[in-house]
Amino acid sequence: MLKLIQNEWMKLWHKKGTWAMVALLIVVIIGPGIMMKYYESKTAEDLSWQENEQQTITNYKESLTNEELTVEDKKYFEEQIALAEYRLANDVPNQTEGSLESFMSFTSSMLTLVTLFTVITAASIVSNEFSTGTIKMLLTRPMTRAKILTSKLVTTFLFGLFLFLVNVIVSAIVGFVLFGVATGTELEMVNGQIVEKAVWGDLAYHYLLSAGDFVMSTLFAFLIGSVFRSSSLAIGLTMFLSFTGTMIVMFLSKYEIVKYVWLTHSNLTQYETGGLMIEGITMPFSLTILAIYAVIFLAISYVSFMKRDITA
Amino acid sequence: MQQPIVQLQNLSKTIKGKQLIHNLNIDLYPGQITGFLGPNGAGKTTTIRMMTGLMHPSEGKVIIDGQSLQEHYEEAISKVGVIVENPEMYKYMTGYKNLLHFARMHKNVSKARIDEVVTQVGLENRIHEKVSTYSLGMRQRLGLAQALLHRPKFLILDEPTNGLDPAGIREFRMYLRKIATEDGVSVFVSSHLLSEIELMCDRVAVIQNGQLIDIREIKNDTASFYYIEATPSEQVTAQLQKLDLSFTVDNNGVVVEIKKEDIPNLMTQFVNEGIQLFAVQPHQKTLEDQFLEMTGGGQIVEANSK
Repeated sequence: MLKLIQNEWMKLWHKKGTWAMVALLIVVIIGPGIMMKYYESKTAEDLSWQENEQQTITNYKESLTNEELTVEDKKYFEEQIALAEYRLANDVPNQTEGSLESFMSFTSSMLTLVTLFTVITAASIVSNEFSTGTIKMLLTRPMTRAKILTSKLVTTFLFGLFLFLVNVIVSAIVGFVLFGVATGTELEMVNGQIVEKAVWGDLAYHYLLSAGDFVMSTLFAFLIGSVFRSSSLAIGLTMFLSFTGTMIVMFLSKYEIVKYVWLTHSNLTQYETGGLMIEGITMPFSLTILAIYAVIFLAISYVSFMKRDITA
Repeated sequence: MQQPIVQLQNLSKTIKGKQLIHNLNIDLYPGQITGFLGPNGAGKTTTIRMMTGLMHPSEGKVIIDGQSLQEHYEEAISKVGVIVENPEMYKYMTGYKNLLHFARMHKNVSKARIDEVVTQVGLENRIHEKVSTYSLGMRQRLGLAQALLHRPKFLILDEPTNGLDPAGIREFRMYLRKIATEDGVSVFVSSHLLSEIELMCDRVAVIQNGQLIDIREIKNDTASFYYIEATPSEQVTAQLQKLDLSFTVDNNGVVVEIKKEDIPNLMTQFVNEGIQLFAVQPHQKTLEDQFLEMTGGGQIVEANSK
């Protein structure tokens, strides 16, 4: 089994596309980093942080006089004013704009790219063997088809994990070199209390929640790729669903069935921001639904791969 | 008789209600090269795919060295080396990496064994180049190399000489003969090149419309034929009929079934009759003739019209 994974890993890295993906991932981290650094140094402010906070308070108070404010806006402005007053009173400067921490939470949005690249790999790892005809060579070996498919699945996830690590490590290095560790403290309002924000904890939680979409998209692409033996169909369909997923859920939101569609749940970061796709779902419920779908996707992939007559 | 290494027992395959293979029974023995012939669409490839586990039989089974391919897949297939149609390799890797890839999927294939096989198929100079730079003949050699890595007891080849140059074909033939006689490997070759099969094989199995129509040894052709070119032809045929010899008219002459020792006698009679003789030569009935005789020409139509 280990040797099979070794084989798949070897084949993966002999493709130019794989290297291009890693290169692209690194470029989209370094590029914006340099740009942010460039603009930061251009717009170096003359104001001290106290003056800045004072300005924030004045601005927001002015905004509050506007009578057309929604309840949320009003709440937001009031919170910001409270935070700024707290900073001035307790001498707690805000975090500087460019920092390792803020850069890393910015690059965590690049995890979408990690998912996309893993989806591409998942979609093609089985279907490419069919389209090149190498599947005949691969399956006439003393390894059951189940083992071969498993090795491909494991390799796909290893590759995804690798890309994730590249994202984290490269953005940590770039962030550190360009901006350095942040000074100051990030504050937030929790239930009317002003508390220090756990920046790293929040980031780790965000990473963890992003795994929901990552795993489901990868499994879905793997399913389509191995059942229909077409990588373009698999990539296309997975991308289509991830773009239109929110819309589909909205269309279905009138019906009870929406709760049992994986698209409603796959974006777990909805629990972080609190803006739930539909009302009345909870994290454990979402995880259960996702687990059920994951098993279904895998079962279909395995059964179809093992029963298939190879005519390629 | 020896114990067969491969047995096809009542092998049948039905796809979408159409029966492609009907109750095929073939035994293959160690050290023997068996040719597998049939017109296009006769079911050769389907049969070979069932023998390699790429397709699942609808009925019947394939037994390799005493183990059923369907029930003990890993054990059974580990004795088989396969080249199905064109050997498709990972073009973006070197030949060596390809072999390494397949070697890892077998037990007990050492690096030394890979080098040995590479030398055997004559690829040592190009093995560390990407397969995409290989010619078709070189890919065939690489295909043979991957099939031999694990010292199979049974070798299945589908159209193996496709793309090889004449020297390559000859070398390939000699090599197959060598592993068959020295290592007792049983070889099963499907090919359209009848002359190739004729030179290579000990016996042929012929299938048509999914049914085995004949299986016979090649080299024991006992009847002897002679080609005689002489004029005038009316006199020749009259003479032959008088002597009660069976013959067929072929181009300018006739093909006569006659023993070698009777030839001088016949010649004397021809000369006495004033027949002008141009040529007398032994006539080998080629496998092609036999094949066409057995299958009655191309019969693809029948299979497809059902």
